[in-house]
Order: sequence, then C-alpha cells, then structure tokens
Amino acid sequence: MNENSILLKMQDISKSFPGVLANDHVTIECEKGHVLGLLGENGAGKTTLMNILYGLYQPDQGKIFVDGKQVVINSPSEAINHGIGMVHQHFKLVDTLSVIENVILGIPTNKAVLDFGPAKKKLEKLCKEYELFVDPEEIVWRLPVGKQQWVEILKALYRDCKVLVLDEPTAVLTPSESDQLCRAIRKITEQGRSVVFISHKLREVIEITDKVTVIRDGKVIGTVNTKEATQSILAEMMVGRPVTIERKARPTVKEHSAVLVMKNVNAFDDRGVQALKDFNLTVHAGEIVGVAGVDGNGQRELSECITGLRKPSSGSITIQDKQVTNVIADPSFVGFIPEDRQKTGLVLDFTVAENLLIKDYKEKPYVKNGFLQYSEMKKHAEHMIKKYNIKSPSGDIKVKTLSGGNQQKVVIARELDAQPVLDVASHPTRGLDLGAVSNVHDILLNERNRGAAVLFISAELQEVMALSDRIVVLYSGQIMGELNGETADQFTIGQMMLGQTTEAKK
Amino acid sequence: MRTKQKIIKVPFIGDLIYSSGHTILGILLGIFTGGLLIAISGVNPFLAYASMFRGAFNSLQSFSNVLVRSSPLLLGGIGVAIGIKSGVWNTGIEGYMYIGAIGATIVAIPELGLPPIIHILLCFIVAMLFAGLWGAIPGYLRAYKGVNEVTATIMLSYVAIYFTNWIVSGSPLAQEGAYFPMSLPFAESSLLSILMKGTSLHPGPFIGLLMCIIFHIILKYTPFGFRTRMLGYNPFAAQYAGINSKKQIVMTMVIGAMLGGLGGAIEVLGLKHRLYMEFVTGVGYESVAVALVAGGEPIGVMLSALFFSILKVGGATMSIETGVSSSMASIIIALCVLFVIGVGVADSKRLKKRDEKDPGKKTLSFKMEEAVK
Repeated sequence: MNENSILLKMQDISKSFPGVLANDHVTIECEKGHVLGLLGENGAGKTTLMNILYGLYQPDQGKIFVDGKQVVINSPSEAINHGIGMVHQHFKLVDTLSVIENVILGIPTNKAVLDFGPAKKKLEKLCKEYELFVDPEEIVWRLPVGKQQWVEILKALYRDCKVLVLDEPTAVLTPSESDQLCRAIRKITEQGRSVVFISHKLREVIEITDKVTVIRDGKVIGTVNTKEATQSILAEMMVGRPVTIERKARPTVKEHSAVLVMKNVNAFDDRGVQALKDFNLTVHAGEIVGVAGVDGNGQRELSECITGLRKPSSGSITIQDKQVTNVIADPSFVGFIPEDRQKTGLVLDFTVAENLLIKDYKEKPYVKNGFLQYSEMKKHAEHMIKKYNIKSPSGDIKVKTLSGGNQQKVVIARELDAQPVLDVASHPTRGLDLGAVSNVHDILLNERNRGAAVLFISAELQEVMALSDRIVVLYSGQIMGELNGETADQFTIGQMMLGQTTEAKK
Repeated sequence: MRTKQKIIKVPFIGDLIYSSGHTILGILLGIFTGGLLIAISGVNPFLAYASMFRGAFNSLQSFSNVLVRSSPLLLGGIGVAIGIKSGVWNTGIEGYMYIGAIGATIVAIPELGLPPIIHILLCFIVAMLFAGLWGAIPGYLRAYKGVNEVTATIMLSYVAIYFTNWIVSGSPLAQEGAYFPMSLPFAESSLLSILMKGTSLHPGPFIGLLMCIIFHIILKYTPFGFRTRMLGYNPFAAQYAGINSKKQIVMTMVIGAMLGGLGGAIEVLGLKHRLYMEFVTGVGYESVAVALVAGGEPIGVMLSALFFSILKVGGATMSIETGVSSSMASIIIALCVLFVIGVGVADSKRLKKRDEKDPGKKTLSFKMEEAVK
C-alpha cells in the first residue's frame, strides 16, 4: 500500500475513563478517496475515538496523522483547521438560526457587518454539487431531521474538510434519504476527500464503505476490505471474543416451575419506536435463559418491562403468577442488575453502605423509630464487602471511587444476596476485566443451581453460549429463534442475530 | 479530592471546613472585590468594612437587628435548600411568604379569644397550609407535566404579590383610608412577643435556626431524607430503587413552600403586626442566594443567612457613616454568590478535566451552573 495515499491515520490510540478502558491501542487508517467503516456495538469505543480525533478528548497515548503529518488536536477548531469535519450523532446546530447562519457560524471574519451574499452563493453551489438541497434562509428548527443532517454535512464541506466523519448518520434518515446520503458520500470521495462512516448496521456498512475496521470493547478486532467481507464475517468479528469462555459443568435442578411468563408483550422505547413486538418468553426456576443479540434490539426495554420500570403497551408479564404493575424494588423477589450500573444501578455520590441499601433502607434494622441506623448500615456493608470480596477499605467511602468491577460487585451484592426468585442480569460483565467476568459468571451459575430463574442478557455471544441452558436470539424486538445452550453453534446464532430465520436446531 | 477528604481529622468541624472550602474562598473573593468597588467610589475599604462590622455587632440592639433580619432568610433558605437536595429549584419563596402571610392574616385579625400560644400556632398552621397548597401547584406541574419549576414558581410569585396587593387594598381585610395599603391590625393574642426590651427581637430567628437543625437531621438521618438525597444525586437510580420520584418532588416543593410561608407569617406576626403591601420585597429571592451559598446544606443555611443579614444590617450603617452607596451591601452579596458559584464551577471543571466523563462530578456546582443560566 502506498503510504502517501493514507489521508488519516490514528495510531495506537488509548483512552481510559474511570473504570473503563474506552480505547485500547486502536489504530485506524483511511485512504484518500475512500470510505472507512467503523463498525462496533454501542459502547465499543467508536464515538470516543472520533471525539479524540475532533479534539474533544485528549488520548492517553497515541498519535494522529493527517496527510502524513503528525498533528496534535486540542480543540474542535484545531480539528477543523486540519481539515477534519464531523457530523455528530446528535446534531450541533443552533436551532433558532437560519441554515446559512449555522454554516458560517464560527468562521472568523474581519468584517464589521456580515455579508451573507458570497457565503450563500458558495453554499448553493455545494448544495447542487452534492444534491443535498436546503434553503439557506430556512430556520433550522423548521427543517426535518434529515435535512438538518444535510446542513451538518454542508457545514463541514463549506470548511473544505479533507476527512468527513459521520457518526451513525442513517439512524435518523428515511430509506430514500439514506440513498441520497450514499450518493453524496460517493461524490465526496470522488474529489479525493475521505469519509469515516460509523455504524452498527452491517448492511449499510457493506453497501457504502471500501474498508471496515471492527471495534469491540475498545480494541480493533480487525480491518477488512469490504469487497471481501460478508455480513456473517463481519458479524463474527463483532460478536466473537478473543478469549473463549469454557462452559462449566452444571447439575440439573429439580425445581422447574415457570417463574417469569411474558405473553404478547409490546413496548415502546423512549423515542416512541416499538421495541418489543408480541414478545413471548418463559423462564423457569433453575435455568439460565440467555438473550443473545446485537445491542439495541430491545434488550433494554425487555429488562425494564420485567422489572416494572417501563410499562408495556399491551400484553402480560407475571412473576410467580403475580402481575408486574409497578417498579419492583424488592431484591428478595427480583434481583435486577441493570445494564448501566453508573447511571441506573448506583448513586455514585452515596457511600458503599448507602448504595447497598438503596432498596432496603426502610427495612428493619436499618430504620429504628423513624431514624436511619448508620451503625447497622455499616455493619451490613462490612459483611457484604467480605462476602462478595468488594475491594473497598470500608463502607464509608463513596462508590464512585471504586473501580468498575467493584462497583458491579456492590450492585450484585445488593441485588442477589436476598436470594430472589428471578434474577435479571443485563450486560452484567460489560466493561469488566476477565477475572471479574468469570466471577460474575460463577455467581450467576450459583444462582441457577440454588433454584433461581435467571434471565441473562448479553451481547457477548461466547458468554451467552457458555452460561445459558437455553438461548433466545433477540432481533428487532422479536425472538428469532430458540436454541439449546448445550448444542447451539455460533454460526446459527450469528445468522439469527442478523435477522435471518434459519430453522433452529433444537 | 479522593484522598484529601480526610485531611482535617477533627470530626464534623473538619468535614465542615473541608466541604465549605469553596464557599469560604468565594466569600473572601466577594468581600475583596467589594472592597475594590468601595475604594473606587472614593472610600477607604478598611474603614468601610470596619463600620459595617460595628453596625452589625456594636450593640445588643444592632445584633438583634441582624437576627431579626435573618429570620425570613433562614426559613426561606432552608426551603430552597431542601429543594436543591432533591434536584429541584424551588425559587418561589417570595410568593410563599406572601401567601403564608395572607393565611396568617386571615386568622390573626379576628379576636378569637384564644390564649396567645394557641392563636399564634393557629396562624402558623394556616400560613403553612396556604403556602403548602400554593407550592403544590408548581410541584404538580413540574412532577407530572414537566413544566420548568423555576419559571412556574417565579410566575406564581407575581400572582401572589398582586393577590396580596388586592387583599390589603380592596378586600374586606384591608384597612380603609390608610396612608399605605395595609390590612386591619392583628389581634393582640396573635402577635409574637418581643424577647428583649428596646429591640424588635422576636422568636423568629430562633425558630429558623431550629428548623435548620431539624432539617439537617431529617435529610441525613431519616428515610425521607435518604430518598430526597438519592433523587437529587441520581434520579434514574432513585426510580430504579422504587422511589416515586414524582411524589417526592411534590413533597419537597410543598415542604419548601410551607417553610417559606412560615417565614412570611413570622414577619407579619413578629415585626409588622399587619399585612402590608410588598412587605418582604426581594427577601424570597435572597433566600435562594442563601441556599446557593450554603450549597444546599441546612447547616450552611444557618451561617449564610446570618452572613447575609450582617451584610444588610451593617451595610446600612456603613452607608450612613462613610457615605458609600446603600446598595453596596446588595452588590457585595451578589458578588459573594457569583464567586461562590464561580469557584465551584471552576473547581468542577478542573476535576472534570482531570477525569473526564466521571458522572459522579455532577454534584452541586454543576447544578449551580445550570441555575445561573
């Protein structure tokens, strides 16, 4: 490969946040006139990487080269000067200004009075060139979302960017708008500009890109030429884990009554899009049901519906024949490890002792005569710290000072110690190191062996296969198929995760 | 910050000093900048501040003025503080004070033949009831309809102020033919007694200080306080832990309103002995500043309310003795608030830079930043 043709290179980039290694020695290269796809699930580290490129974060280590020259980017304006244009997932437009005002916003001028004339002409020329038509005078909030994206793209082109980064651009577009975007991207690359296309949708990545770099858990899994790639190769790269997790031996549990029964459940996500469609699932005592699938296919809504945090629009959910109506905050009934422990599972500014009791703070002996008994809470915390091997000097320190793995232990201790009849574990190992992952697996397996019904939601195919008695594959809010955990093979699950129904081999 | 937390090892006082570091630095900067302004206006700032200090502490009488002045600030401040703790900006204290005073007025005017203590308690209860219902309106709108509570409370304050204007000028409770819009005089049995001869010191400030201590204990040591703090720190976790956050928001706003209403009632029962038009101009908004400087902590409210009233009372003396404009006290207060917020924001930016994206940093300074906008 000719080194000179590399327009953008990010070499060996690492970036960590407290408890999370978001980018781990990531290297990407984009050739002149090419489209590089950046493929990975939510939270894989794509956006962090692009924010580093745009000067919003500083990398802990690594170098960035634009046009062969090493650059240090401290702020977005420096990024723009280096010819980097970015269209964020959430647009950064000023709603109350017109299109043309947004486009020229931030461009230094030495005139006292703004003259829109030349700017407008330049913009109209760009509109024609890329067939992205918008009225320069229109106020941005009046534009449909798709058009707002055109404005973002035109804004970057107006600044004559060499590299255009599009972060999940099709998420807000209609199919015909997506086609329009594809055409525009081709025209952009014809002129020797490069495009970095971030997505977790396989189909469009294959359609648009020249090369694809797959990122997973902050690491580059591999880079392939799109021509040689198929959906299943990419899917395997997305879901495969470098380290195989051994399937552990397990005893059969006698108790096998149905604990969680979901019948024809429909639910909507926060944006009002249907997230679960006529969903049926039964989980029995003494089994782990693994929910596999690319993240964002209804997993979050599924766990929230079961625990009462989200009201389904129709259908019924029962746990031990009790209808779920309100939020279940009783860890002796349902233990719920939520997918985002820092946002949902913990109060970071509370101490370990307080966090261990955010559900049970009202119970005896933690309340006496209407007052909280801090000494009892502390005793409880010390017991839990020992029992669950939480690395914390005492119960008095704030939970935000713990590492990610130990924060998760606090959640697990709180949710599972009271021996619930149903465990809902949503991505319980996300962001944890291997030792912590295996620890969580052991705990969940023990829960099953004790006779709890366990619903295990994860995007890690390997761990779903290692842990589950039964596997259901979630795609677009529906179960694509059900497989036996002992005999399921990765290929079949991978196909189902992409929405292709193959006859499930039981 | 993580390791420094226990540097000052004196229990309670050490924590207090550590946690109020921002505040003390902000106040010092405010006083310093105020001094510059005083110097610009042609007065020696040391003399001016000395005269302010004398004005506040020179005699028992002047110090009792400080205490009397602090009464509505203490009650209003704690009302705002409890809102801050639960993550809502209950900025309508001004309105609650008026509505509370109206409630008190209704039962204070007639001779009910009750012993004073019962009559006064009745006035307090009616005042808190009125103000609580008033506060339930923005509380409901915020919790169930998503209406911004700052807008709702401030708008309702205007309604309360104009409603009071009607009460003291057009209603049956108004004194006819008065030189200034006012209500009929209150019955003797409803008036708060003067605690010290020759001063206007009534029990109000002590009720305020007591409330600060009570709410410190409630927030720290009761399940209700636990819920409130959880909601303020992380509303998502609070919902996950089964807390009815809507109900909790309404409750904290109603409690804040009741405290504001009590503050207003004490003003009319203890000091004015009638309901006047615009009897607490701006005090409700000052209590928002009090709570801000206190960082939402009830114990901090005690200190910042006293500090504010020292500035106000001493500022009047300063103005008379040295010729500095009488609005200088208000300017210094405003500077202190801005610097306290500024120091907090600067420090949280510094910490944010150090460990970007740590969501735990969204503590009070962050919320203050929002409030300033």
